[in-house]
Amino acid sequence: MNRSALWLRAGWFAVATLLMILLGAWLLFGRGRSPIQTDLLAMLPATERNPLAEVAAQRLAHANGDRVILLVAHADDDRAKAAARELGHALAQDSVFASVTAELPPFDLQQLVTPYLAHRFMLLTDADRTALAQPGYNPAQALAQRVNEPFVTGVGTRLQDDPFGWLQHWMDQQPWSRSPLVPEDNLLTAHRDDGSYVLVTATLNGSSYDDVIQRRALSAMDQAERTIERDQPGTRVLRTGALFYAAAARAGAEHDVHMVGLISTIGIALLLLGVFRSPGPLLLAFLSTGVGVVAATTVSVLVFGQIYLLTLVFGAALLGEAVDYSIQYLSARANAGDAWEPRAGLRQVRPALLLALGTSLLGYALLGLVPFSALRQMACFAMTGMTVACLSVFWLLPALLQRSAKPLSAVSVRGALALQNLISRLASGYRGALLAAVLLLLAIPGWRQLRHDDDVHLLVAPPAALAAQEAQIRDITGLGNGTQFYLVQGVDEEQVLQREEALEQRLQGMVDAGQLQGWLGLAGMVPSLQRQHANQALLAPLFAQPDRMRQWLSGAGFRSEDMERWMQSWPGAPLTLQAWLKSPLATPFRYLWMGDDTHAGAASLVLPQGDAQSTLLQRAAADLPGVTLVDKPASISDLFGRYRRYASLWLLAAIVLIVPVFAWRYGLRDVPRVLAPPVLGIGFTLAMLGYLQQPLTLFHWMALMLVLGVGANYAVFLREGEPHVTHRPGAMYASVLLSAMTALLSFGLLALSSMPALRDFGLTLLLGIGFTALLVPTSVAYRMTSS
Amino acid sequence: MRRLIVLLLLCVSLNLHAQSASPDLLHTVLGELSQHTAVRAAFTQQRQNPALTQPQNSSGELVFVTGHGMLWQVQQPYQETLALTGSKTTRIDANGNVQPVRSERGVSQISQMLQSMLAGQLDAVLRQFNVSAEGTAAQWTLHFTPKQARVAQVLHGIQLDGGAFLQGIRIDMQDGTQTDIRMTDTRDAGPLTALEKHALGLP
Repeated sequence: MNRSALWLRAGWFAVATLLMILLGAWLLFGRGRSPIQTDLLAMLPATERNPLAEVAAQRLAHANGDRVILLVAHADDDRAKAAARELGHALAQDSVFASVTAELPPFDLQQLVTPYLAHRFMLLTDADRTALAQPGYNPAQALAQRVNEPFVTGVGTRLQDDPFGWLQHWMDQQPWSRSPLVPEDNLLTAHRDDGSYVLVTATLNGSSYDDVIQRRALSAMDQAERTIERDQPGTRVLRTGALFYAAAARAGAEHDVHMVGLISTIGIALLLLGVFRSPGPLLLAFLSTGVGVVAATTVSVLVFGQIYLLTLVFGAALLGEAVDYSIQYLSARANAGDAWEPRAGLRQVRPALLLALGTSLLGYALLGLVPFSALRQMACFAMTGMTVACLSVFWLLPALLQRSAKPLSAVSVRGALALQNLISRLASGYRGALLAAVLLLLAIPGWRQLRHDDDVHLLVAPPAALAAQEAQIRDITGLGNGTQFYLVQGVDEEQVLQREEALEQRLQGMVDAGQLQGWLGLAGMVPSLQRQHANQALLAPLFAQPDRMRQWLSGAGFRSEDMERWMQSWPGAPLTLQAWLKSPLATPFRYLWMGDDTHAGAASLVLPQGDAQSTLLQRAAADLPGVTLVDKPASISDLFGRYRRYASLWLLAAIVLIVPVFAWRYGLRDVPRVLAPPVLGIGFTLAMLGYLQQPLTLFHWMALMLVLGVGANYAVFLREGEPHVTHRPGAMYASVLLSAMTALLSFGLLALSSMPALRDFGLTLLLGIGFTALLVPTSVAYRMTSS
Repeated sequence: MRRLIVLLLLCVSLNLHAQSASPDLLHTVLGELSQHTAVRAAFTQQRQNPALTQPQNSSGELVFVTGHGMLWQVQQPYQETLALTGSKTTRIDANGNVQPVRSERGVSQISQMLQSMLAGQLDAVLRQFNVSAEGTAAQWTLHFTPKQARVAQVLHGIQLDGGAFLQGIRIDMQDGTQTDIRMTDTRDAGPLTALEKHALGLP
């Protein structure tokens, strides 16, 4: 290959890169909507075996997703209400909100009752049902209790429409009667010892995950709150909604990308400048890595349609591994001195780079096998980025590196040589074996302290302040949390309602025992036909002899025309779900009905309210046909646990896969020597994590896979490169240390991330790469370096 | 006659420092009422409902404990014990079993106001009602009219009267229902029985 061919290939590569950049730019910025996905839950895998459960979980997330709940608090009732009104008006002015509800439209309480009158003999509370089923049920006394009941406000049914109060009791336990929020001055208000809380809700005119909507909505709310703060000093506004979590997640990730990206870039730049003593190599190293990262981003968006925040943060750290290829080539150039010839240099490093790329790709391919889209995307990102960065070294860099360079800085080479000699000497022969035995003995207590933790909150960790506000709002308003729910399925709506009733009986037991605040389900508002007919059957004996009923009623003082009208209305008609769903009263609850499909059957959702233990909720669903508890966080924690257990096997499998590759290159006898640094590095890292009391998560294991890949690279670089730098002992180890330090500067900085998962990842890499880099001189026989 | 005697006795027991109707009367009355942290009384309730041909009468005993609520024990014409604690209402059967009566908001509006009144918490009362007072500290009458339009749709007004203790409650509904509760033999409750403590959720 001659010089012009070198340029031609570089030219092609540059053109391809440019096209890639254009495509990437269009994908990222040219399509109006940003493909950056800030919904942390969206990257979680489908956990439910039941596909309908996934659909239900998503629907529930959307029912709550675009809504913002605000609670205006003030010690003074009038000020709280004035502030809530003002907030409502201020927000309603902004077009970013599709609707804002502070003041309720006036309505007549009696309107609530009228639609139910036709069904009054079909709807009974559990308490009335139990009482009516007793053999000693005394109708005369029931009437007396009703007409003498103390302190009734008269809200609800009229006495003559409901002499026994059956419908009244039933209405009293409907969700709108049980809410802790009471309409006062046309505002939904709750009173606590520390003051009044007024509810204001708003629906966004778009998605909570759209960054334009996020910015506009947040600034509108901040401004409105400042105005209120000025007009009504002492007002607090509690907020919750997906919007705030999404904005916080975005801010956290941006902070991470900026910090990790910036510090690692500056750190790597200073290192490279110090070692290569010229800015040229530095720019080329960044060019090679930059091309890799751009290609990786473009391909990831092409393949997945969007890019997760986690991938971007991970991508910022990946710089540290991709830069290794150019470092190796640049070191070869620096070490060659005046004898440098770009093609010969390439031939010299090619086997090492290919071997390193091969082991990395193997590691990431294993990661990509995990059926977890975020991990797959990270694997895709890494494999593309690595491959392109490596190709850029083969095709682009030779054309740009035709002149020879200054040798590596003497200090770094001398330092590396001293360290290498020290480690090699310590690790050779009898002394090495003894040292290894001592180190392993020291590691044992660490291993014994290893524990594990699979909590989903490692991945999705909302800011504590937001979580506290949500908990307070939930406590005051009784609005549900939406991450745990029951999916109730059946062949038709009747069976679904019957199954809901079986479930709700158990849930009521938990409520009575104080384990649960309440629940929200359709069967509580529209009982099954079976239940309605059973209710009617319980009342039937009372109506069997109309004269006896007349006697009871007149004994309690009812007028004969009212009596006749009431008895005429017996038995009435059942309330059907479809008719109820169409009523305006059902609007806030319609999302609980998943629909009726001839193929899939019918399904509905039941939401437990209040913080109940997952195991208790699980127990309530046990042995009930068609009832499944969907507990997204628990399912994901489960999944994490499963993968964490597999991850140790994968690590073993990856090591086993590398063995034949190394055996082919170095012979079977030398395989332990080359593999020892990464394997021991992993072992010592695990021991350290044990000593640090860090519970192991899936993310620690993922990091250990990277340690294996990177550690194997270092061993390969050292073994392959050492024969070419016999004239400059220590130069090869210096370049490996350079690689290790750039990796530490990028991956290691993830230990400062705001996301616990990335923190674990970073810490493990910090330890793993550190140990491996120190152990790597042992992969080269001592005699080779001492000569 | 007996009521009159009790009233007279009460008047004697109460320091006659009260003037005629003054803005301070309300506070005086509340201050006086909240002196008694646990009160026991016999009650008779008469209710007139336009839907019924004759007034309904019931009677029994009530126990009020500041900060905990009220026990409403009907003895005639049927036996029933209700515990009104905060926003919760429960029914206690003969065996002492507590069952929730989930008619919380219907019952609570007035009973909560009463609980606040008797505990001397004027703020909670003034949030819901306009209050006017007349009479003297020895014999006063308080008028409550609901502030909330939604409540005013159904509740016309409440009137309380008394001296050292609350003696009468009269509730007028918009549909014409009138409830008249008279309390007699009002006294400091003394130690509560185990059942009473249990029903009010006291240790």
